[in-house]
Amino acid sequence: MATREIISTGNQLAAIAAVDAGCKFFGGYPITPSSEVMHEISDLLPAVGGTCIQMEDEIAGICATIGAAMAGDRALTATSGPGVSLKAEQLGLAQMAEVPLVLVNVMRGGPSTGLPTRVSQGDILQSKNPSHGDYKSITFCAGSLAECYTEVVRAFNVADRFMQPVIVLLDETIGHMHGKAMLPTLEEVQAGIVPRKRFDGPAEEYFPYLCEADEPAVLNPMFEGYRYHFTGLHHDKNGFPTEEIETCRKLIQRLEDKVALHEDEVESYEEFMMDDADFMIIAYGSVSLAAKEAIRHLRADGIKAGLFRPITIWPSPAKKIKEYTDKIEKVLVVELNIGQFHSEVERASSRLDIDGLFKVNGRPISPYEIVNKVKEIL
Amino acid sequence: MARTLMRFTGVGGQGVLLAGEIFAAAKIALGGYGLKTATYTSQVRGGPTVVDITLDDEEIFYPYANDGEINFMLSVADVSYNLFKNGVQEGGIIVVDPNLVHPTDEDRKKWTIYEIPIITIAKEEVGNVITQSVVALAIANTIMNAVDKDVLIKTMLSKVPPKVHEANKKAYELGEKYAKEAMA
Repeated sequence: MATREIISTGNQLAAIAAVDAGCKFFGGYPITPSSEVMHEISDLLPAVGGTCIQMEDEIAGICATIGAAMAGDRALTATSGPGVSLKAEQLGLAQMAEVPLVLVNVMRGGPSTGLPTRVSQGDILQSKNPSHGDYKSITFCAGSLAECYTEVVRAFNVADRFMQPVIVLLDETIGHMHGKAMLPTLEEVQAGIVPRKRFDGPAEEYFPYLCEADEPAVLNPMFEGYRYHFTGLHHDKNGFPTEEIETCRKLIQRLEDKVALHEDEVESYEEFMMDDADFMIIAYGSVSLAAKEAIRHLRADGIKAGLFRPITIWPSPAKKIKEYTDKIEKVLVVELNIGQFHSEVERASSRLDIDGLFKVNGRPISPYEIVNKVKEIL
Repeated sequence: MARTLMRFTGVGGQGVLLAGEIFAAAKIALGGYGLKTATYTSQVRGGPTVVDITLDDEEIFYPYANDGEINFMLSVADVSYNLFKNGVQEGGIIVVDPNLVHPTDEDRKKWTIYEIPIITIAKEEVGNVITQSVVALAIANTIMNAVDKDVLIKTMLSKVPPKVHEANKKAYELGEKYAKEAMA
């Protein structure tokens, strides 16, 4: 695989990735620590005939993004946790109406306005269910500078495949750190673009929401002669509101099943020194960098530690986690919240003896803190 | 080369971030690994700011400097000096601007402290206060010998506008001169 070297920050790489993946629209409102995504893409999009617009607030930002996606564009918005709280209602609309878009959330301390400039991973559960109702979130989490690029590219393809929002989580550390990233070439990224499906038959035979029980809607771009209704209400095959019992049941079940029955298509994780590991650390995002450094130290001390790092956070790689937790007794989840993914590991493993190392003061967890915790458990 | 950990501290708005990016990029240009992280407060100006620079020939995972392992620190503000000095290893080197930072006698026993009036050099000798980050860059590299000087200057010039190339070259030379004098 050919690669190219770019020296940049995670936020800038996320913006570059979007444009390389064919994104033509950004609607948003700047917020620390995500602002550089918007800053960078405001430079890049006009050069490729795209549009970047700063709206009056976060809500309007995602509304504009949904509109651009309805018109057929690949569209991005970026924000931080407080912004996701504001965008939650529209994320629900995009789930219900099946509008593909990508949301980059560069996590900072919360709840509320929290710690604007400091690192956190407190939005894990928010990204699973930002809005009310039933749907199946797809959320990726970048664990390196290179992944700030590759996961945003993947998010655009997955959003078009499943016709729904895809969230890419960065955190303040990954978003702002500056260094070398080895990326796939532009040609490779462009060759991998899979645009959303479209209906090419006669307009009178077009029913966007008439699809198999595990398949997404087929939404042709607006203004091309294929007319349909767009709503957040339960709707029929044309998109018109309905309360018909079976139609309502099938619609929400399909929103669940279109992802749940195809989880293997989005599953992604990294195994770092897991081959002979008898101590498993589970970490993601910037914390996984401290974990890798910690494992170097632990291995030097003769402790066979390894890292399991979920890249797709939702749906979680639950089967793979269980495979490991069935054979490895000592398991430690390290994260910058009070156990948001830890509870998912407990669920996946059907075990209540999973250890945790958590921090919520806006400071990173250092490799030595992990080393000390592992030695304390052993 | 073993890992080099450097920390630049000041207050928001002083422009200490750029020096970190230049160090990282120069190390990468030489085939190694370099990472820069910055920590700052939600105050736009005046809040303590710290930039950690990690340089290594091997891949770097954790991007922050671990407390107690920092080889070199440069500080141009008392508030951040006091907050972050304890990250420097015993016997490590600290450079301070004596007009802005006031180390205690105990500090001087614990670390090698050089006093160089970085801001004054930039303001009065170079004639442009913004060049303080390049004065600091030159001081750090002259003392630490972290990366090849020519590559560092070339990288630095690629990150500043052409109209200030001469001023920044001058800033680098002055920083180097003062660092050599301090060490002599």
